[in-house]
Amino acid sequence: MSNRKKQGTSLLYQLIGEARTYDDVIIMGRGDPDFDTPEHIVAAAKEAMIYHHADYAPPPGLLALRQAIAERVKRVNGIDADPQTEVVVTNGGQEALFLMVLAVIAPGDEMIVPEPNYNTYADSLAFAGGVKVDVPTYPDTDFRADPQAVRQAVTDKTRALLLVSPNNPAANVIAPDDMQAMLNIAQEHDLMILADDIYDLFVYDDFQHASPASLPGGKERTLTLNALSKAYSMTGWRLGWIVGPADLMARVTELKAAVSGGTSIISQYAGIAALTGPQEPVAMMAAAYRRRRRMVLDALDAMGMKYGLPQGGQFVFADIGFTGMDSAEVAQRMLTDQHVLAYPGSAFSKDRKNYLRMTFLQPEDKLKEGLERMKTAMQNMMAEKQ
Amino acid sequence: MTSHTKAKILKQHQANARLKTPLLPQVMQNSQDLSADEMPSPLDEQIIAGAWEALASGQTHYVDVPGIAPLREAVAEHLNSLTDAQYQPTNILVTAGVQEARFLTIQKISELYDSIAVPEVVHPGVCKALGLRYRNVMPLAVDLARGCLPSVDCIAQAVRAGSRLFYLESPSRLSGAMYSADEAGAIHKLAVEYDVAVIWDQGLAVWADSGSNVSLAAFDSSIAQTAIIGEAWPGMGLAGWFIGYIAAPAAWIAPMQSQKQIMAICTSTAAQYAALEASKLYAEAHPQQRRQLGGFRSALLELANEVQLDVVAGDAVNILALRLPGQNAAAAIAQMRRVGFEAADGGLFGAPDVIRLNVGSSTAQAIHKLVDVVRG
Repeated sequence: MSNRKKQGTSLLYQLIGEARTYDDVIIMGRGDPDFDTPEHIVAAAKEAMIYHHADYAPPPGLLALRQAIAERVKRVNGIDADPQTEVVVTNGGQEALFLMVLAVIAPGDEMIVPEPNYNTYADSLAFAGGVKVDVPTYPDTDFRADPQAVRQAVTDKTRALLLVSPNNPAANVIAPDDMQAMLNIAQEHDLMILADDIYDLFVYDDFQHASPASLPGGKERTLTLNALSKAYSMTGWRLGWIVGPADLMARVTELKAAVSGGTSIISQYAGIAALTGPQEPVAMMAAAYRRRRRMVLDALDAMGMKYGLPQGGQFVFADIGFTGMDSAEVAQRMLTDQHVLAYPGSAFSKDRKNYLRMTFLQPEDKLKEGLERMKTAMQNMMAEKQ
Repeated sequence: MTSHTKAKILKQHQANARLKTPLLPQVMQNSQDLSADEMPSPLDEQIIAGAWEALASGQTHYVDVPGIAPLREAVAEHLNSLTDAQYQPTNILVTAGVQEARFLTIQKISELYDSIAVPEVVHPGVCKALGLRYRNVMPLAVDLARGCLPSVDCIAQAVRAGSRLFYLESPSRLSGAMYSADEAGAIHKLAVEYDVAVIWDQGLAVWADSGSNVSLAAFDSSIAQTAIIGEAWPGMGLAGWFIGYIAAPAAWIAPMQSQKQIMAICTSTAAQYAALEASKLYAEAHPQQRRQLGGFRSALLELANEVQLDVVAGDAVNILALRLPGQNAAAAIAQMRRVGFEAADGGLFGAPDVIRLNVGSSTAQAIHKLVDVVRG
């Protein structure tokens, strides 16, 4: 099957599969930080293997971890969460998203999502029988999610807003005023809010992250997800969480028990070490991402490529419309000819065939090489076109 | 401000009895907790070393959705050695525990069928997994004399009535009763004749007293119509790590793998590398453990006989199910709890007059307490 026919997740996995066949491939696609998990977290996991491997892991997670999560969301996000009843530990952010969607969406319900958006949202919604209502955002406003456009998309079938800030793949951060406006819409129309805060520690320049659950009246109608994957470079550990009001979290707990029963005890102890231990590795990684972001933007500027300014996250969503080619084709050519993997915009939205998502999750020398190869690929494609 | 939307969500939730079925603890919480699905086992140093070395060498990133290649290979080899089946690594999906395996098989395979036939007595995790998205569930009556398994006749009747997808446990998660080779052969014959698909939970089969493991997968042609699920190397100290498997035809693995990606991307790398190490030790460690538990269970059967408790027939050495005719097991369990013992309530499985105890060094004491409780 050609990439033209494959879409969404399956398209991405086909590209990942091909990328693995190249020894010299440079991955600028997948959201998997190049840093390994900090040593003190791995050490805590070893200690847990020795002393805690047989501990009981209840479906909502170890209380000690839930307490650490409650402290973290209070400190970073300003969200009050009772660790006993308002926190559930999950197998990564992905399971958190799946459970949040199942918790609030019934068949036929509509969920409004600023577009472009991460492909798994559509997959989870489809499982629940829900309908995704995209609200387009535009590069000339750096993909700002416009509350007015969201308001216009509300129908009598709308049950929830999914607010992802920083956004994936467009890297827009919803400004506090806009977040307040989104909450106002949710209150006026009695909608639930699903907040994906997974990139909340990666916000650049003077942009500001706001969690809807931290705003007055927000917590009662908001489920907020996060995970250790991106901030602590712990993608393989599968550890995330949902926080929200106790009544909804009781439902989330039942869903967690139904879907996977619990979360690996070793990952949970590693998570406690991550959240309560030294935070310098997080600061170090965040500083590296800031530098790399600048490097990627400079390279794109030099190539004359347009993009929405990445206000947060770990990627850039760049316009490749000048090639006159579909992004799946461009990504395929870059991979096959130059062994550089970037994700085609069409995997995120049928209306983003002119975009590529490029992560900056590679060491700077590799990133530089990847950008050079990308430039070569683009030049080759343009030359063929002429 | 009252949210009507939230109230509606919560009302729908309250009405979903299947989803609200309580789960049993994954691991015993102390030596007198005999209610869990698995007892705690020592973790071999080699397993710790293997998992830690993998993490320390940078295996802390996403891995393949279906599981790391050597683990899938090890699971396939393990199942083939147990069942004479011909599984390839491509038939294996590593899951975050057996509950995820239940969820994926029940939710995805049942999409292909009008209904799913499920024993009236079954692990509560099955009811929970059926609690999402409406599924037409056809109940299969169970035979108490056969350890709460549905009889082959009952399965045949359901097949003739039109059921084409079955969820079966062998051994039963409540009693440990297991289908014999003849019974499994008869189920296989029905499956072939009527093009029936089976989800076959054989997680407890490694605890079969005889050591003989009768699986539907033992019948060559069953691989095309059967999904086998279970825990990865039970008894090796991995219960709390949540590591399980699905073995199924490649055509079924594909949609379940997609769903796994949507739900979790992959299974914890630490758990996968630990399971890989456990696979190397299992052949030596497990028979010893099974023999030891077998000895315990034989003594417990004698004790139950002495104190005239009604044992539900079972073959798995790690559990003992006791029937309290005319009594509610939940009430007896509540009283046992007051004196420090926990037991699994058969009511959660669909058998309200049965309690299940893990077999271990404190089980005899628990039986004496139970006798005190039920006889005043």
